[in-house]
Amino acid sequence: MGAALARRLQAHPDFDYVAGLDARRPQQPLEGVDFIEADIRNPVIATLIPQAEVDTVVHNQIIRRPTPGMSSRSMHDINVIGSLQLLTACERSPDISSIVIRGSAGIYGSEPHAPQFFDEEMARLYPLRSRFQRDVGEIENLFETYARRHPDTVCTMLRYQPAIGPTLETQVTRYLSAPLVPTYLGFDPRMQFVHEEDALDALVAAVRRPVRGAVNVAGPGSIGLTRMIRTAGRPSVPVAGPLFATVATAMRRVGLPELSEDFRRLLRYGRAVDTERLTDEVGFTPRYETPAAVQDYVRRRSGGRVPGSLSGMRV
Amino acid sequence: MALASVFLRGLRGGLDAGLELPEAVARSAAELPRGTRERAGAAMRRLAGDYQEDEWGFDADFVEAVEPFFDFLYDRWWRVKTTGVENVPAHGRALLAANHAGIMPWDATMMSIGLMREHPLPRQPRFLVLDWAFDLPYVSVAIRRMGGVVASPHNAVRLLESDQLVAVFPEGVKGTGKPYAERYRLQRFGRGGFVEIALRTGAPIVPVAVVGSEEIYPKLGEAPLLARALGAPYFPLTPTFPWLGPLGAVPLPSKWRIEFCNPIETASLGSDAAEDRALVLELSERMRDIIQRKVLENVVARGSAFL
Repeated sequence: MGAALARRLQAHPDFDYVAGLDARRPQQPLEGVDFIEADIRNPVIATLIPQAEVDTVVHNQIIRRPTPGMSSRSMHDINVIGSLQLLTACERSPDISSIVIRGSAGIYGSEPHAPQFFDEEMARLYPLRSRFQRDVGEIENLFETYARRHPDTVCTMLRYQPAIGPTLETQVTRYLSAPLVPTYLGFDPRMQFVHEEDALDALVAAVRRPVRGAVNVAGPGSIGLTRMIRTAGRPSVPVAGPLFATVATAMRRVGLPELSEDFRRLLRYGRAVDTERLTDEVGFTPRYETPAAVQDYVRRRSGGRVPGSLSGMRV
Repeated sequence: MALASVFLRGLRGGLDAGLELPEAVARSAAELPRGTRERAGAAMRRLAGDYQEDEWGFDADFVEAVEPFFDFLYDRWWRVKTTGVENVPAHGRALLAANHAGIMPWDATMMSIGLMREHPLPRQPRFLVLDWAFDLPYVSVAIRRMGGVVASPHNAVRLLESDQLVAVFPEGVKGTGKPYAERYRLQRFGRGGFVEIALRTGAPIVPVAVVGSEEIYPKLGEAPLLARALGAPYFPLTPTFPWLGPLGAVPLPSKWRIEFCNPIETASLGSDAAEDRALVLELSERMRDIIQRKVLENVVARGSAFL
């Protein structure tokens, strides 16, 4: 994602200098992109970033779920301490005019009584329940404080719904490719995703036209979990609510991916956001609505099977 | 059963003749009667995820599938008589405000069946449902597929802004939870939130009086401890529930009347009027008076509650 973004920005005529910062070098060398090899948690970035003399900083590396072997403690360090170090570095760089963070719509939570579509004002309607939500909440707080103290800098917090797409591997795609897909017995939540191409384009659009405050990023509309699983052609197994966490853990031994606490709540209550601000103010309209994003993922993953088509079986 | 054996015999014949499975299924299915074929096709499409729901989860196929059941309730069980449908606008946004009773939202479904039957240009109303129902397995799914949404002002405004017909029950849980002895006495209309929403979106309000819903579950008492254990707003005790188990949830066959009254126009007041507390409360009280009067009129017109 980071490399793809750097390539996209580098190729864009509006930007004449792009630098990337990561703890690991990219697998393929990026042409025309300066690379700074540094750990975001290390205060040394406070001297490296001002040297680059950039006017826009994009923070694209918030970890949504610990990878196997990563403790939730180190996820917290990267997410919160990393953001803090990055903002400190920005404070020392007088040239910076805008900061764009790829945050998460996870801050809204998944709640049975929630409005169907969260708008940007509704971030604090419900308590932050999971560790990841609290991390995101803390990042947003740091960011808001920064924006208040530096009124000249335009700070954009993009609240992303989970991304889906044929080349991505995320919690959703892993869930959908499990041999048996567990669902909550008697629940059919409304899900919402952003297509991977739209996810990238929205970020580029926000860098080109940053707006102050939070902006939701998602494919408009929503899709029911049942319809999504059927479109993907996966067998599902309903599990009663109180047993779900236990069963999901047991199924990990037979190849089911780990389902985080946030994701389990998402599977039970769903979540969708309002994307008016993205369209009206950032000026970006996602190409894929949520059902189309799911269909595109399924079609390109399974090599041409058009979801739901019964051609050849005329009944 | 006969159809199944025709189908299986055809399938067997096709497989014996060396056809691949999908082709054999298609061949033998072609011999079934047309209606059966269409139903099978629809079921197959549904299983493949090839069906439409809107962004709220409203599912027209589902509504069509459960319609015979609600038709039975409407015609035979409750013998509903619906009047005044011409007062419901055929196009554009509008807010239906009705009295509420009967623990489960049967009144909402009967209102929508009445409208779909009697209205010259019918459309499916969306109704705001008390939020705790969305924490219940199955119930939440069915409610959403039939056009219910969480009762939140954000949802109502968004639906009205997309020019939908929205039904609200301003009494909320106070209406459904009142004892049998207080039937047809309308409760307080909250803080008038529904009027605020109508003013903000410029939607006309159509008062609706529903008679009959009060007798379906005559609430004699409550079990507050059980309610707290289940997280429900109250736990009703009726002559049949919970004594007869799930059978106790069968509503009694009272006789129903639904009247849609003259719409109250709000667009001329302007959306700023939504900020005017005094106006909101006054309008809300006026609505309550209209509905109360119409409810009593219909109770008298109905005569006996069950026969």
